[in-house]
Amino acid sequence: MAKVEIASLSKRYGENFVVKDLSIEIPQGEFLVLLGPSGCGKTTTLRMIAGFVEPSSGQITLGGRDVTTLPPWKRNTGLVFQSYALFPHLTVDENVAFGLEMRKLPAAERRENVAEALRLVRLEGFGERLPRQLSGGQQQRVALARALAFRPDVLLLDEPLSNLDAKLREEVRVEIRELQQKLGLTTVMVTHDQDEALSMADRLVVMSQGEVRQIGTQRDLYERPADRFVAGFVGRSNFLAGQCEGDGAFISAGGLRMACTAGVRGKGTLALRPEAVSVGPEAAHLDNSFEGVVEYISYLGSVLDVRVRLAPQDRIIVQIANRSGEVLPKMGDTLKVGWPATSGRVFAEES
Amino acid sequence: MTLATSEVAIVRPRSRRPSSMALALIGPATLFCLLQLLVPVAILFRYSLNRFDPASYMVDALTAENYVKFFTDPYYLTVLARTIRVSVVSTLICLVMGFPLAYWLARMTSRWKNLMVILVVLPLFIGNAVRAAGWMTLFGAKGFINSVLLGSGIIDQPLTLMYTEMAVVVGIITVNLPFMVLTLQSVIEGIARPIEEAALSLGAAPFQTFRRVVWPLALPGTLAGTILTFILAMNAYATPVLLGGPKFTMMGPLVYDQFSQSNNWPFGAAVSFVLMATTLGLTFIAHTALRRRRVG
Ligand SMILES: Nc1ncnc2c1ncn2[C@@H]1O[C@H](COP(=O)(O)OP(=O)(O)O)[C@@H](O)[C@H]1O
Ligand SMILES: [Mg+2]
Repeated sequence: MAKVEIASLSKRYGENFVVKDLSIEIPQGEFLVLLGPSGCGKTTTLRMIAGFVEPSSGQITLGGRDVTTLPPWKRNTGLVFQSYALFPHLTVDENVAFGLEMRKLPAAERRENVAEALRLVRLEGFGERLPRQLSGGQQQRVALARALAFRPDVLLLDEPLSNLDAKLREEVRVEIRELQQKLGLTTVMVTHDQDEALSMADRLVVMSQGEVRQIGTQRDLYERPADRFVAGFVGRSNFLAGQCEGDGAFISAGGLRMACTAGVRGKGTLALRPEAVSVGPEAAHLDNSFEGVVEYISYLGSVLDVRVRLAPQDRIIVQIANRSGEVLPKMGDTLKVGWPATSGRVFAEES
Repeated sequence: MTLATSEVAIVRPRSRRPSSMALALIGPATLFCLLQLLVPVAILFRYSLNRFDPASYMVDALTAENYVKFFTDPYYLTVLARTIRVSVVSTLICLVMGFPLAYWLARMTSRWKNLMVILVVLPLFIGNAVRAAGWMTLFGAKGFINSVLLGSGIIDQPLTLMYTEMAVVVGIITVNLPFMVLTLQSVIEGIARPIEEAALSLGAAPFQTFRRVVWPLALPGTLAGTILTFILAMNAYATPVLLGGPKFTMMGPLVYDQFSQSNNWPFGAAVSFVLMATTLGLTFIAHTALRRRRVG
């Protein structure tokens, strides 16, 4: 396992940048997730690391080895495909042994490594099966074992869970993460699924239309989103349009004056997490305190999503914990809402 | 973790009896195929046991003399050997030339792909006789190749290109190559690209990827394409006649001559049977040999 360095990596098709100027250092043992909507260039980035897509510019280094111009078979990356791409004519054992065979490992050592890899993914005793005799979840684990068995410098996962059903997906998330931590695998995973990304990553790269929007931990992204896109893509946000005064004040379209983070000036957006809003008497003591009318309630079980109209143009969703015994708001009620200035993040209008 | 045992899903072939509906649907076609295949073959076989008489042509009999005649006359054995040789050589060349072309076509993602496929089958739009005539203008003593070579002073005597085994092999390849390419293309398209990429990322160079993954997965279809072109070559008629000339006899023209020139139907029928049996036999051998290698 090794450190991965990516410097100013770009991929252009004609005039169109699919990946633009991506730079990141991935320390050994880190689980990095590339997160972004479909078509934002995640797979292209992963395939550049694996050697299937030639970068238009930039450099990729694996454990200090410049691999930018090396073909895939000389890179020593362990790639797990969305479709698993197991060799249908080979048994599970033979699939897992493939990378070891290519590396000319002696047969005895090979058998040992195969058994070890299958044990890690809990598929002992399945070695003689053909891929088509396995369930989807088992095939996925064979693909993982195959990519791990030869001890790659980096493990690359392209939406590895998207072909599994929802329940299994959550189990496998934990399994992959535990395995990754146990073996100290430097890992790059690609996904468009926010939950998956947040629950597995050490650090995330949020991408949109080929550009990196933000790199950071879950907490960085959630509490200090770099822009409006990240604020909307990681977790949920209310967005209010209006005017930023620059000194920590925001005038909403409905004419409400709100205390917020300082910095931005001019036309902009205020982003507010639904769960950062307090309701009832405690709301009165906060930097921002308003009264609104309850327009709509979604009862979600552990929480309620309540849509509150502060002004005709300003509506926010407020998330209320559903504690037992409490009186819950009803439609048409007048509700006190409030939040601290630091919860309202302002972003300049995107050009 | 209880997953490992609970998710076992072994695919078992389901034994189902064909419904009467299915039978009604596939019955007529099957019957037709069987009849139009079996009846002529049966009649042909019966003819091959008859005796030839120059005056009354075919006399009812039950004799093996036609087969004896074939297998004891070096001339006919030479014809058979030549037919097998030409077919094997042309089929192997079709395979070697066709595989890269088929692979390239199968993996092509450009919008020109359909055009390329049409270009591959285009030769089939030209009848064998017309094509062979084209080869004659190319290969003849005064043909294009000789004119160019003589004109540029590279040779001073025209080369004998027409009426050679080489000309026949080349001719048969041009007819059979499209069949080979189309068969292989569809087989290779059935191998998902990520499967190849998996091999590459696991450290297999392109040749290793071909040997360990593409070739074994393409084998059943390759066998089909090879058998198809081999059968076509064994039974070729127009190409050997037009490009091989009167002295270069292959089995197809021999059968025709016996029926139409010599009016010797019994012997013609026997030659047909030898041709059919040889083709089937060689096909079967190739099939089992490849099967065994794949399993072993
Ligand atoms: N070979 C190619 N030629 C042109 N455009 C491509 C090619 N491959 C991918 N793209 C484009 O690049 C963009 C990013 O693709 P991809 O990396 O697969 O996105 P993601 O994995 O994030 O969904 C897409 O808009 C896609 O259409
Ligand atoms: Mg993708």
